[in-house]
Amino acid sequence: MTDVLGIYNYWIYVVLMMIGLYGVIAKPNLIKQAIALGLFQTGIFLYYISMAVIDGGTAPIWTTIEDGAQKFQGPYDNPLPHVLILTAIVVSVSVLAVALALIINIKRSYGTIEADEIERMDHEDRLIEYRAGQAPDAADDAEARHHA
Amino acid sequence: MTAVVLIDTLLLLLVTVTAVAIIEVRNLYASAMLTSVYSLLMALVWVNMHSMDVAFTEAAVGGGISTILLIGTLVHTAREEKPLKRRVHGKALALTALCGAALIYGTFDMPRFGDPKAPIHHFRVPEMMAQTVGFANSTAGKQAPPAGFDPLEYRSFNGAVPSVPVDPADTAWRETSVLAQHGIMLPKVNGHALHPAEPGHHLHPPDDFNGHVPNSVTSLLAAYRGYDTMFETTVIFTAGVSLILLLRRPRREGYLQRSAPLADQAILRVVSKMAIPFILLFGLYVITHGELGPGGGFQGGVVVACAFILFALIFGRPALYRVLPPPVCDLLTGLGVLMYSGTGLACLLLGGNFLDYAMLDPISPGDGEALGMTLVEYGVGITVSMVMLTIFNQLAEERSK
Repeated sequence: MTDVLGIYNYWIYVVLMMIGLYGVIAKPNLIKQAIALGLFQTGIFLYYISMAVIDGGTAPIWTTIEDGAQKFQGPYDNPLPHVLILTAIVVSVSVLAVALALIINIKRSYGTIEADEIERMDHEDRLIEYRAGQAPDAADDAEARHHA
Repeated sequence: MTAVVLIDTLLLLLVTVTAVAIIEVRNLYASAMLTSVYSLLMALVWVNMHSMDVAFTEAAVGGGISTILLIGTLVHTAREEKPLKRRVHGKALALTALCGAALIYGTFDMPRFGDPKAPIHHFRVPEMMAQTVGFANSTAGKQAPPAGFDPLEYRSFNGAVPSVPVDPADTAWRETSVLAQHGIMLPKVNGHALHPAEPGHHLHPPDDFNGHVPNSVTSLLAAYRGYDTMFETTVIFTAGVSLILLLRRPRREGYLQRSAPLADQAILRVVSKMAIPFILLFGLYVITHGELGPGGGFQGGVVVACAFILFALIFGRPALYRVLPPPVCDLLTGLGVLMYSGTGLACLLLGGNFLDYAMLDPISPGDGEALGMTLVEYGVGITVSMVMLTIFNQLAEERSK
């Protein structure tokens, strides 16, 4: 029983990561994919923070002072994973913001944010160009549609 | 089974259920709101695991900013997901099940949750916890490892790490500062006696934690991993710049002068007017208080940004642009990064290493550390708050043409 509880956190981290991965693969909606990527990241955060915990430990902030010397009430959790994850969370929101900006630009040029529809539109454009005897070039397509 | 494990078990079950709901619900607004719930649950999980700074960040970033960003995007993209032909994607499910099974097989080799003998609690931890990074002398008694464990054995695990490289009594190099040689910033002894245990330090009043910063998370963030944090700040700065490049329209088109739809709601207006000063004050407190308690530049910066975003939501963005014009916002974004690297450069000029804060006050290095970390935290705070605000502005600016 204690053995199961001892690695329970690591199981949940795997489950969260896999839920995120499933979302990224299975959902064609780009916003849903961005959210799923966030879930994947929180799974990894959970993994790091779980490793930092020590039995009977407390938050790593020095507290008690007696006669000018430090007296410790117990062991402290390892602060290093906290530091790593603290910065990773802020970076993850930056990643989300850039992803959302790209999604807005995609919506502007394609009119949809479903990945499969975008792919079909690209494919159809290529087909038309191929039939017209031109070399297919995806970058020019998007540009032309944007100005149209 | 301790209370930590029990609460952890229940909270993580809730978190998993929320995660499934986020992925499976078709309405994207509902999905965004569930993301907020998920982040708040996660913040509780972090608090339960004594990771206060991370909980703080998660609540401010996940519960606040990212939900606002998602909703801001949904307004001009789509509210609903396209209905799928098949509810369950068989191949993806098989792939994730396989991958998950492999990872779970790997977890059987992990040290058990909270095990004091896990390597992570020993390797380099004496140096880290004693905060002797700049001095490299392991001060005795800061945190004793559990019985039966020899920290030296763990340190020798990596032959490249020297255990005690320099003579801690030799502090002459600290007194030779470039500026001091030219008569600028001459070190003064403010009646401090030498610290008996740490020759490089001077005795401080008892509330001074022997010149060390009490919140070890902040101290690791700004000193031990100072370079890392500096470039994380740069990453955030880059995100702000990318948002401007991707979405900002030319100035000549002017900013969209939309009326503020919520400004005629008396309750919202009055309550937000009362709340905003306190949110700002709290944000500044969190940044300034970062070395003493949970908090720091990242968390405080996000809280400050939240105050501005609330103002923009209630009174409209034109009002925000009058308070904080976009050019000023852009300038401040860069200023934060400059402040961080400038502090590092100042330490270099004073005769120390890059980001060696002790050099800011060579006679009492503890005060120098506190000063340097506060400066750096303010740099991070300014950049983070202004980038979050820029991101919000750019996403909200983008209206359907």
